[in-house]
Amino acid sequence: MTNHMNHTFHMVNQSPWPLIGAMGAMITLTGTIKWFHQYEQTLMSIGMITMIMTTIQWWRDITREGTYQGLHTSKVTKGLRWGMILFITSEVFFFVSFFWAFFHSSLSPTNELGSMWPPTGIQVFNPLQIPLLNTAILLSSGVTITWAHHSILENNYNQGLQGLFMTVILGLYFTALQAYEYMESPFTIADSVYGATFFVATGFHGLHVIIGTTFLITCLMRHLTLHFSSNHHMGFEAAAWYWHFVDVVWLFLYISIYWWGS
Amino acid sequence: MVSICKRIALHSSRRNTVYLCVRLANTFMDPKELVTGLEKRELLNEEAGKDPDPYGLAIKRGPGTKDKPTLVSSAFDSRIIGCVCDDESSHINWMWLHKGNSTRCECGFWFKLVEKPPL
Ligand SMILES: [Zn+2]
Repeated sequence: MTNHMNHTFHMVNQSPWPLIGAMGAMITLTGTIKWFHQYEQTLMSIGMITMIMTTIQWWRDITREGTYQGLHTSKVTKGLRWGMILFITSEVFFFVSFFWAFFHSSLSPTNELGSMWPPTGIQVFNPLQIPLLNTAILLSSGVTITWAHHSILENNYNQGLQGLFMTVILGLYFTALQAYEYMESPFTIADSVYGATFFVATGFHGLHVIIGTTFLITCLMRHLTLHFSSNHHMGFEAAAWYWHFVDVVWLFLYISIYWWGS
Repeated sequence: MVSICKRIALHSSRRNTVYLCVRLANTFMDPKELVTGLEKRELLNEEAGKDPDPYGLAIKRGPGTKDKPTLVSSAFDSRIIGCVCDDESSHINWMWLHKGNSTRCECGFWFKLVEKPPL
């Protein structure tokens, strides 16, 4: 019935995912608190599995509606674009709050910190070592994803695949280096407000890199199964926007926390 | 047991061949071949250089009297319409339009639903 109408809007079908996803989020939250208090991870794991299964199947449905049912007309796509723009805007403000905390603490360090930044006793990372390499990696990944985008726009399947693949590899490389840096770190999240602001800001950024890489891997798999064409690749564009956002957040993190803050 | 194994092996090897064929076709299709449904209709319409609003969502009001109501097409038995009653009006007057008799907006304009098969 959905295809037999005289308008351009997508009348969505009933879906279990909003409700199941909401329950998953609630179980994850409750389970995490349970883990904090009782060192018991079962409930949290159940919540996480529910969330992951929900996201996989929800986006699978959207892919089917868009690619196999042709329900994503230009008007619907416009709505999806606005949704992504507003989502990324909210993410920007999420990170603004962590930068606010960082500058609040670092611009006029309290007596307890030794009236200096980095605080007394904190041994910080050398910004010219792994952090600089990470900056180069993310900037290069911005180039490779633009390469993939232009290839898709010009109907060049192979170069689109190569560009996307290189972007995913660079994303994984970044995550591996951050994990290594975290293991080597001479301070912890419990070491003064420096450790707190550092690990909350870079940790949430790292989480976003992992989410962005997952998004790009999804696009890679959809590209392999020929889901995209020069005028049908909204999912890829959303992934590219998200990846650029993650890239820009890292530049701010590098400049303010790693470089100026050291 | 042996026969089952043989069947599984045969079946999966055949599946692999099919898979290989798909993989060999690893090139973009013509965008027109990939799209389907409403999206395709929109693309073909655009290509033919037709009305940019193929669904006719914006309807110009005619005389709008009881005898000559503005005709609104739908593939269904009823639909919602919005009337911008006069030029200065700062809001849209929404109402249901049902198949059969014409409907009058608060402002005096008449509308009538006409059947139009889905595009
Ligand atoms: Zn009216």
